[in-house]
Amino acid sequence: MSPALIAALPFLGAALPSILIRTGRNNAAAVSALITGLALLGLLLNLPTVLAGGVVETRIDWLPWLGLNVNFWIDGLGMLFATLILGIGLLIILYARYYLSNRDPVGQFYTYLLLFQGAMVGIVLSDNILLLLIFWELTSLSSFLLIGYWKHLPEGRQGARMALTVTGMGGLSMIAGMLILGHIAGSYDISEILKHKDAIQASPLYLPALLLILGGAFTKSAQFPFHFWLPHAMSAPTPVSAYLHSATMVKAGLFLMARMWPVLSGTPEWFYIVASVGLITMLLAALIAIFKHDMKALLAFSTVSHLGLITFMLGLGTEAGALAAVFHIINHATFKAALFMSAGIVDHEAGTRDLTRVSGLRKLMPITFAIATIAALSMAGIPLFNGFLSKEMMLEAAFHTSWLHNEWLVPALATLAALFSATYAFRFISHAFFGPVSTDLPKTPHDPKFGMWLSPAFLAVLVVAIGLFPMVIAGPYVQMATNAVVGGGYHMHELKIWHGVTPALFMSIIAVVGGLAFLAAHAPFQKIWDAMPRPEAKVMFDWVIARAQALSDWVTQGLHNGSMARYLMLFTVASVGAGLYAFSTGMIGAPTRELTPVNGAAIVAWILVLSATLCIVAFHHNRILALVMIGIVGLTVSISFIYLSAPDLALTQISVEVVTTVLMLLALNFLPKVTQIESSRFKISFDVALSVFAGAAVTGLIYALLTRDFAFPTMSGYMLDNSYNLAGGDNVVNVILVDFRGYDTYGEVTVLGIAALVIFALTEALLQGASSRKLIAWRPDVARGGDKHPLMLLVVTRVMMPIALVVGLYIFLRGHNQPGGGFIAGLVVAIALVTQYMASGFAWTQARQKVYYHVLIAAGVLVAGITGAGALFNDMPFLTSDFGYVKLPGLDKFELATAAGFDLGVFLGVVGSVMLALGGLSRLARRAAMGEQEGENGPHIAAEKPEARVLAPLAAGPYPPEAKVPRRWWKTARAAKEATQAEIAAIHENKKNHGGDH
Amino acid sequence: MELLWDIVISALLVIGGIFGFVGSLGLVKLPDPMTRLHAPTKSATLGVGAILIASMLWFATKQGHITLHELMVTVFIFLTAPITAHFISKANIFRDWPAETLPEPAGEGEWAVHQADADTSEGELAVKKETEAAREED
Repeated sequence: MSPALIAALPFLGAALPSILIRTGRNNAAAVSALITGLALLGLLLNLPTVLAGGVVETRIDWLPWLGLNVNFWIDGLGMLFATLILGIGLLIILYARYYLSNRDPVGQFYTYLLLFQGAMVGIVLSDNILLLLIFWELTSLSSFLLIGYWKHLPEGRQGARMALTVTGMGGLSMIAGMLILGHIAGSYDISEILKHKDAIQASPLYLPALLLILGGAFTKSAQFPFHFWLPHAMSAPTPVSAYLHSATMVKAGLFLMARMWPVLSGTPEWFYIVASVGLITMLLAALIAIFKHDMKALLAFSTVSHLGLITFMLGLGTEAGALAAVFHIINHATFKAALFMSAGIVDHEAGTRDLTRVSGLRKLMPITFAIATIAALSMAGIPLFNGFLSKEMMLEAAFHTSWLHNEWLVPALATLAALFSATYAFRFISHAFFGPVSTDLPKTPHDPKFGMWLSPAFLAVLVVAIGLFPMVIAGPYVQMATNAVVGGGYHMHELKIWHGVTPALFMSIIAVVGGLAFLAAHAPFQKIWDAMPRPEAKVMFDWVIARAQALSDWVTQGLHNGSMARYLMLFTVASVGAGLYAFSTGMIGAPTRELTPVNGAAIVAWILVLSATLCIVAFHHNRILALVMIGIVGLTVSISFIYLSAPDLALTQISVEVVTTVLMLLALNFLPKVTQIESSRFKISFDVALSVFAGAAVTGLIYALLTRDFAFPTMSGYMLDNSYNLAGGDNVVNVILVDFRGYDTYGEVTVLGIAALVIFALTEALLQGASSRKLIAWRPDVARGGDKHPLMLLVVTRVMMPIALVVGLYIFLRGHNQPGGGFIAGLVVAIALVTQYMASGFAWTQARQKVYYHVLIAAGVLVAGITGAGALFNDMPFLTSDFGYVKLPGLDKFELATAAGFDLGVFLGVVGSVMLALGGLSRLARRAAMGEQEGENGPHIAAEKPEARVLAPLAAGPYPPEAKVPRRWWKTARAAKEATQAEIAAIHENKKNHGGDH
Repeated sequence: MELLWDIVISALLVIGGIFGFVGSLGLVKLPDPMTRLHAPTKSATLGVGAILIASMLWFATKQGHITLHELMVTVFIFLTAPITAHFISKANIFRDWPAETLPEPAGEGEWAVHQADADTSEGELAVKKETEAAREED
């Protein structure tokens, strides 16, 4: 099977478990196992080739000009990791079937697991570092979902967040490092990069690249000082811990180091950074693990420690080190996954996994005891189990390592770490399974069902089999993978249990005997440990996150404090600044064109716009009046479009104007009708000065443009010349929209639909919970008139409805050759529908609304997309349009263009979006006009709340009837502000007076 | 003949212009909203009407084809102008004419704008209430 398909299979099948969960958990688990098994089978079909030293490749060009290609390959290292990922994945799927309870969303679990599996396989089979990075980030995301799978547990959510933050940061660092590496090597293909060892190590960018890449690898593989996230991620369900945090994801960092080993290793920098970090991690985590009571926490720290061991081995930069690393990756995956699953079984059956509570389980759960003991002894490095073999290799390699010319430091520390490792392994067995049988457990434990212990048992068998016959079982794999790590030409010595009397043997004996002694003296040491002050990683992490959040809040609030005036101010200052810079550095030629003579109509329009604008400035405190003024500006602009022969723009402008006004009225419903004066005089003066200056600057710019010819010929000439020839349309505006710039329009319709859906979602959220109660309690600030649905309006809108629809259809059909088109037609139809809502009320109209507006939006995007995709079948680029002329008997010859289908999509999208947005806002108004009544099933929304319709006395409204001058709005606003301030002062006074009471 | 049509069309345009001006002047000069409401109706009916007839005549006699757009414009004005006037007057009654200053309306109840739960379309909107209820239950 092709490597690309192996990586794609889990993604392709990821949706299946979530669908099949409706037929039961067994089917969801079975389909996941089937997909994983299929991928594994496909992988193993390639095994003979890879074992023989070959490489299987799939190469697909994706974005070749970026160096991003979908290149997959299976070499020895990828084969080893992919086998581990898919093989252990299969066991985990079986185990999780029995581990997860009925209440858990099991379908989701398997979906997440398959997504994760696909991402992991993608990492190890990628032959392109950019592709690898994509999968790398996907593992971070999918592991976030898996760690936080139990959404009800705060530890789960926090652990997931921490894991995502740390590994995500590491991923960013790695992206930078990989880009540097690709830059040095001149290619982003891994197989190509691996050929440039000398160039990379000689480059001055080697050290930064190394540090950045190690940043990614160390965070992912939980190396000191980034080790703290892994224990917190253990709040995930045990199958996740066993899979992600022992066998696969945390080994991605190791994989990366092994993958880049041929080009990065062998330098002093590599040795001192990687080996030292590995050694420190191995030692420190093993020490912490000894004192953990939670079985999973103990295993988590032991995992960190073993990851440190592998990092240490890779850091040595020798072939022996690489061999030990590869072999220990296999061994660790087998025994640690088995241990995690055993801990999960104990937790599942006993209800707790606290080592101070459980004891003597040997008698209650003999099978679990056998599995856990085999795995733990292997972890401790006892002969005849596989852990012993790789640990011997590690000690042997450590013995020959000197650190800054110090011969004994590394061997001593390695032995000490092995001693700690033996201690916690022995503790795991003796505290949980030996001793008196505990009686106060939440549940009486017994061995689980066959299906649950089958997976760990299989791994335990592997532990023993590799331990006894290493050469037969694991030999070829280890040879193959090590050969790939060191870059070829490697011949492994035979793996065997007995090497004769070597220094490593003595170190091993010291470790095991010392471990037993330490365990015997565990209790007093635990007391000392508990009394010692230790840095708590989570507290520090939370502190850093809180500070980072405060900082970003500070920056964000400084720029975006929710005040529209400030946004506009910043925007205007920036634009004026950019303009000034351009003006002072650029140059401007002499005017080349005369101004066209000004006629009376233009002057009238100019005066209208100018006075309406000035009126907005003067009366903007009265919001309704400001809206009317804005309408005047809009209509005048529409008329000037007609005057300047732009009928399409005029039609659009008029319809948009109508829709906007309705939308604004709906929004203004909830706002105070008069804006208070909140700004200081200084700010007002500054704003006035700024806007006058910016207005003058824009005027000057436009004047300069109008009096000069363009320096280069414009696009419009091309559009005008080719509109009919290429697209068969006379209306250039429409042809540009649906054909020449069809991709833009497609994007815009999609964005419009998304915007409408967001408005819908926001209003939907406002209709729930606290904001809904706020709406119900809301009272209008001005009196409401009676007679909501005047009969005259009702009758006329119903008469107008078919006419308006025909007009919409007419505008749509003529669009290609004459002013009109889908966008305008959509707006016209939307207005026709809106008038129905206004005249007959929301409820009446909505009850007759048979098509959901969501569906219209989706249909619009789909129709446009399908029309565009039709071109692909004729081997033309997406959205290429075609047209032809048809002659039907009895009719004139007429044109058919595929662009009409696209325009239909635009039409549907516009109608749906406008109506959905308006509908959302009017639902708010409707909720506000309703009251709450207690019913049989608790409170429900009554049809109308009578008290909301009670008319407030006119004098109480904000418009004093006696005031005649326009300045009354200012006066009112001042009065309202003073009243509010008096109210606030009264509250403060009240607080002060009552402050001493409590 | 040409000249006759020219004269007729010009006359219609002048008449339309005069009524348009009268309407605008009335809007400025008349004292209160209710009387002011009368002024634009003159320009909307007689003013626009005269210009529309002029337009139809011009197309029919000078361009040689008959246009019906003007009829559509007339229909739309006839439909929309009364609604606008209706709403302006209702708003004005609500805002400036308290219930006690108005004459008693015929029949039962108050003036609709002053009556919170009045709904002049109640009968029309209630026609399909049962089907609505059924649909909402779905």
